[in-house]
Amino acid sequence: MNFKLPIFDVKNLSFTVNGINILSNVSLQIFNSQYIAIIGPNGGGKTTLVRLLLGLEKPSSGNIKLYGKKISQFKEWYKIGYVPQRAAHVDANFPATVLDIVKMGRTAQRKVLSSMSTRDEKLVVESMEQMDITHLKDKMVGTLSGGQRQRVMIARALASEPEVLILDEPNTGVDVASQNRFYSLLRKLNKERKITIIFITHDIGVIADDIARLFTVNQKVITCNNPKQALSCDEMSDLYGIEAHLIHNHKHGH
Amino acid sequence: MVEMLSYDFMQRAFLAGIIIATLASISGTFVVLKRYSMISETLAHSALVGVAVGLVAGYNPLWIAVLVALFSAWLIEYLRSNFTIYSDAVLAIMLSGSLALAVIIVSLGGSFNNSLMSYLFGSILSVSYEDVITIFVFGFIALAILLTFSKEFYFIAYDEEIAKVSGIKVKLLNFLLVSVVAIIIALSIRIVGTLLIGALMVIPTVSALQYKFGFFKTTILALIFALISVVLGMSISYHFSLPSGATIVLSVLVIFIFSLIINKKS
Repeated sequence: MNFKLPIFDVKNLSFTVNGINILSNVSLQIFNSQYIAIIGPNGGGKTTLVRLLLGLEKPSSGNIKLYGKKISQFKEWYKIGYVPQRAAHVDANFPATVLDIVKMGRTAQRKVLSSMSTRDEKLVVESMEQMDITHLKDKMVGTLSGGQRQRVMIARALASEPEVLILDEPNTGVDVASQNRFYSLLRKLNKERKITIIFITHDIGVIADDIARLFTVNQKVITCNNPKQALSCDEMSDLYGIEAHLIHNHKHGH
Repeated sequence: MVEMLSYDFMQRAFLAGIIIATLASISGTFVVLKRYSMISETLAHSALVGVAVGLVAGYNPLWIAVLVALFSAWLIEYLRSNFTIYSDAVLAIMLSGSLALAVIIVSLGGSFNNSLMSYLFGSILSVSYEDVITIFVFGFIALAILLTFSKEFYFIAYDEEIAKVSGIKVKLLNFLLVSVVAIIIALSIRIVGTLLIGALMVIPTVSALQYKFGFFKTTILALIFALISVVLGMSISYHFSLPSGATIVLSVLVIFIFSLIINKKS
């Protein structure tokens, strides 16, 4: 499948803040409908890597292409759904119902001055159904539980019909039952809708069955294309800084 | 009420006041949610520089206030995005800098008098026919921009980075929003006064937020609160000969306190 254009094509990327190397000389490619986990210790540069991929930070050197275009020239941002780490911690006073937030997923694609089209409405309704939050649609986001908020944030991302979904530790503060349900949902999005999933976590055991590739980030990035063997890889546990555990054939939640 | 409205000056004041209440509360929702509340205070003081120039040079102070406030808004955005200065420090510097400049211009021009007082605290007596036209024309443009981009402004207020990654032109729209706010502030100084306009922009929204509604209802509620305060404040100003900016702000404060009490967490 390598003749295909990578969605993300990163070459010799480095990122330095005040003389400290956060990422050095990272090169990687991410292709369509892959399921990718980015793991690594806290402060290892996982979030920075994703922020660079999204153009929220500027690399110190190296370059990043999205769908073959330089980030500065990339226009089709609706193809990328981003759920940042802080998404679960919505300001409790922000005046937004669940519906208000999910509708934001259509904002960038709606024409100026246009009201929601039938198609916009349909995508909003479908995203809410998919995330099982339809019954919450008139609730204020600030009153929801962590797991419910997380689903609202992902519904917003899904409403823009992304080809890539990037999630930064979305399970922070979410109970185990919701987490398992959440992982089966990601699996479904990846298998049925062919959405590329890029998932930052430090809890690799839970999703090991599903992921196709693993990026371990600790200043450098090591790519493992077969994660089930990956953690026997000495290189990787060195990089992680601790002995990494991966439970093979770990079944969960269903 | 009927007697009050039989005077031309009161009709003009009410017309101007209603337009201003509408603009201040709608733009105020975005300003408050973006944590930009202090920008209204700063731009009001910058507008005062325009008023000072107008008074001394003999031009319509309102027009020059709009221009100076716009320039100041752009300068603030430029400093914020291109230098490593804390945003609130930029606002504090611009606020006192503008006030100092305005006072010097007015003192040199020898116009430190009642007419300046009316620009500081608002006056229903001072709204001319020309002012109403100016407020109407610029107000229409400002309202059109606010309504056109309301969904984008709302998204940016919710989360600037997510909005940016979704493909919203955040930098351009932030620039547009502060420009609109600058115009609205400059238009408001006749009725509400430079020292008090910040309150009319911020307090109706903060009061409405206490009721914990979604975006649309919150905006409408803020609008209603602003309209009530302006009409009530101007009526009190008329009956007791008080500066209208002060009576409007006290009216909106009463609404705010009431909103706080009835929504107190049990």
